[in-house]
Amino acid sequence: MKIPESLLKKVEKPGRYVGGEWGQIIKDKKDVDVRFAFCFPDTYEIGMSNLGIRILYDIMNKKDYIWCERAYAPWTDMEQLMIENDIPLWAVESGDELKAFDIVGFTLQYEMCYTTVLNMLGLAGIPIMQSERTKDDPLIVCGGPCAYNSEPMADFVDIFLIGEGEDEVVELCDLYREYKKTEMTKDELLHRAAKIDGFYVPSLYDVEYNADGTVKSYTPKYDDIQKRVKKRIVKDLDKAPYPENLVMPYIETVQDRIVLEVYRGCIRGCRFCQAGMVYRPVREKSVETLNSEAKTLVENTGYDEITLSSLSISDYTCIDKLTDELLKWTDDKKVSLSLPSLRVNSFTKELMDKISTIRTGGITFAPEAGTQRLRDVINKNIDKDELLRACRVAFSGGKTAVKLYFMQGLPTETDEDLDGIIALARDVIEEFYRTPDRVKRQPQVTISAACFVPKPFTPFQWEGQCGYDELCRRQKYVTMKNTDRKIRYNYHDACTSRIEAVFARGDRRLGKALVEAHRRGMRLDSWEEFFDYEQWLDVFRSVGIDESFYANRTFGEDEILPWDIIDIGVSKEFLLRERHNAYKEKTTPACSEKCSGCGASCIGGKTAWCPKNVTP
Amino acid sequence: MVPEERYSVRVKFSKVGSLKFISHLDLSRTMKAAFLRAKLPIWYTMGFNPHPKMVFSLPLSVGTASMCEFMDFMLTEKPDYDEVVRRLNASFPAELRALCAYEPQTRFCDIGWAEYTISIISPEASADMASEIKKLFEGEIKIQKTTKTGTKETDISSLCDIIRCEYENGAINIRAMLSCGENSFVNPKYIVEHILSKYPDLLRGGDYTVCRERVFMSDKKTEFM
Repeated sequence: MKIPESLLKKVEKPGRYVGGEWGQIIKDKKDVDVRFAFCFPDTYEIGMSNLGIRILYDIMNKKDYIWCERAYAPWTDMEQLMIENDIPLWAVESGDELKAFDIVGFTLQYEMCYTTVLNMLGLAGIPIMQSERTKDDPLIVCGGPCAYNSEPMADFVDIFLIGEGEDEVVELCDLYREYKKTEMTKDELLHRAAKIDGFYVPSLYDVEYNADGTVKSYTPKYDDIQKRVKKRIVKDLDKAPYPENLVMPYIETVQDRIVLEVYRGCIRGCRFCQAGMVYRPVREKSVETLNSEAKTLVENTGYDEITLSSLSISDYTCIDKLTDELLKWTDDKKVSLSLPSLRVNSFTKELMDKISTIRTGGITFAPEAGTQRLRDVINKNIDKDELLRACRVAFSGGKTAVKLYFMQGLPTETDEDLDGIIALARDVIEEFYRTPDRVKRQPQVTISAACFVPKPFTPFQWEGQCGYDELCRRQKYVTMKNTDRKIRYNYHDACTSRIEAVFARGDRRLGKALVEAHRRGMRLDSWEEFFDYEQWLDVFRSVGIDESFYANRTFGEDEILPWDIIDIGVSKEFLLRERHNAYKEKTTPACSEKCSGCGASCIGGKTAWCPKNVTP
Repeated sequence: MVPEERYSVRVKFSKVGSLKFISHLDLSRTMKAAFLRAKLPIWYTMGFNPHPKMVFSLPLSVGTASMCEFMDFMLTEKPDYDEVVRRLNASFPAELRALCAYEPQTRFCDIGWAEYTISIISPEASADMASEIKKLFEGEIKIQKTTKTGTKETDISSLCDIIRCEYENGAINIRAMLSCGENSFVNPKYIVEHILSKYPDLLRGGDYTVCRERVFMSDKKTEFM
């Protein structure tokens, strides 16, 4: 810890900045060849909860020649003091400034973190523009879900690591080690990197645009680099490294428990969902692997809570066996088990009795749309009866409150679908009164409605986002229609969703908007208190960008999309087919029922459902 | 039901470095996880939500180091105290150290006084200033004490002894014995504030550290154990 104590005494939650936690890895910098600063562009509490960092921190630090440390965005009070006292951003373990590192890596978990990435570079005194950095500066790399369409960040980043990073981070460090020890130039390094699967070097591709502003072409600067960058995956999750120990935060974090990753990918194929597409093909861990990982982590960390994590936990093929095996020892050890993301069809009395956190916690379901018609459009294959059955189980188990997630502004949505949201909430209330063994209290249904944001690599990637005024009207409409005091209606801010949509489907030309936003001191845009919509509109105006070109325009089906440079395995043809099915209100079965030929199996790997005769 | 056997254990521990900035609540969470790692047979409360019962001695302000914190808990097996210390240290973060463990013979409310080292590191510090500062603590010592009911001026001269105040290597080092009674707790920050009220620029370009060194019974002589 090298931050002056006088500063720590002045800030809120100084525990965010001091490091020293149990489980942190300290090495002697003289003994390592590559120093990697793993940055999370948000606060410590959020960053410490990220599973990807936990996994990659462990993998890198197991190599004796790599030392991976952590860095987070300071809160504004600390930021102010750092600027006043000329203290550059540091990594938590050594307290050394980021500039002293070989590689500075950021995970891009959501679009609204982009300004924070630039702010962290700025606070570290590292030039933000890729073109201005030399071999003397750290190499800036980014990964994570937003790297799948990384174009808005292309001006700032040396290398994007596309897909799952387990192998990529080590390959990157190995390459860097050679670079550092030899006369290899930075250009040579980038050229070498651009030949490695999953390594996307944006500066090595020239982009041309058509007169209408759409992308004309991506031309590689060298003949021997990838024409399209194929994402990397872990082929066999049972053999993949998983941390045996964790850094134990002193202060409370968002996900302050053991996260046991059960499988990757999702069999469902909801048409708005990016995670459901980019993490394909579905690969599972065996019950034996999971049980032993859980035991090891409980022993080593002292956590007394395990959460099973995946996109839709109940779709795990052996969920009953897994919970049974875990419950054999967790109760004795006073370790509690929690299951997030339950689907209505898996919500049973048996499960509720078995899992204490379901017994005691709140109940949330995600019908996403108010009518069956719209649920068919988005391929959310649940029906009203299933939802009501699940609610009845919850009510007879003593619950009185249910939370329902919806999305507003979905393609083809009409006022009828909005009426359906309220109607569904009413049906849930009625189901409560129809449950004979309900508790004698008033029921409460909370509707939580997000705004639909079209995301790259989804069947809805071509859809324009519902206009801002129309989104607001629809929110007001539902507010007006809701006359029942037992129904609470909350909705997300349409402004944030609009800016998110701009960057989600953005191209490289948005880089200049980010530079301008950074110049104006914008950061922590994922925090309501710092997000400033008018300021964003002004930024776009000042650099000559029409935000509706990205957010609200319906992209042409034959258009070259800015993210076509990335190959996620799932084919564009499949996404297009799914888009057309959406407009026909035709659903597509889950992978477990029938292969829909998405193309992800070409990536290979030990998949859970892909037909075996598909050759990679 | 057969009454469970329980053995009280007191651990004296130090808390320095990054741990200085960890609040009491966060320290309890850290301790809980450390106990689980140490696999000590700690006794859990019997209620609906069983949790290991831990009691800490005195409050310690965020930013203050300590060489003499105490924590009581119970084990369900007869403890080997050396083993308890060894296992806790293997499970504690580096800047948290168990110093010794034993069966408690006293109560935390027996604590009357605590001795602190306060170091004011300042470019302005000098030997003359050290003797001037010492004089500030002769006679009445009026400080602004903030409590739940508001800020009021209090004389703490009977609750505070400056044992030593000397200039060494660019710092003014103060050794102070401060009251720890339930209704007369003197936070060491009041000493610093009292000095700053006379030397407002002292911390410009400087810093100060506080460390609780020892705690005493109400006779000011017997060290608390």
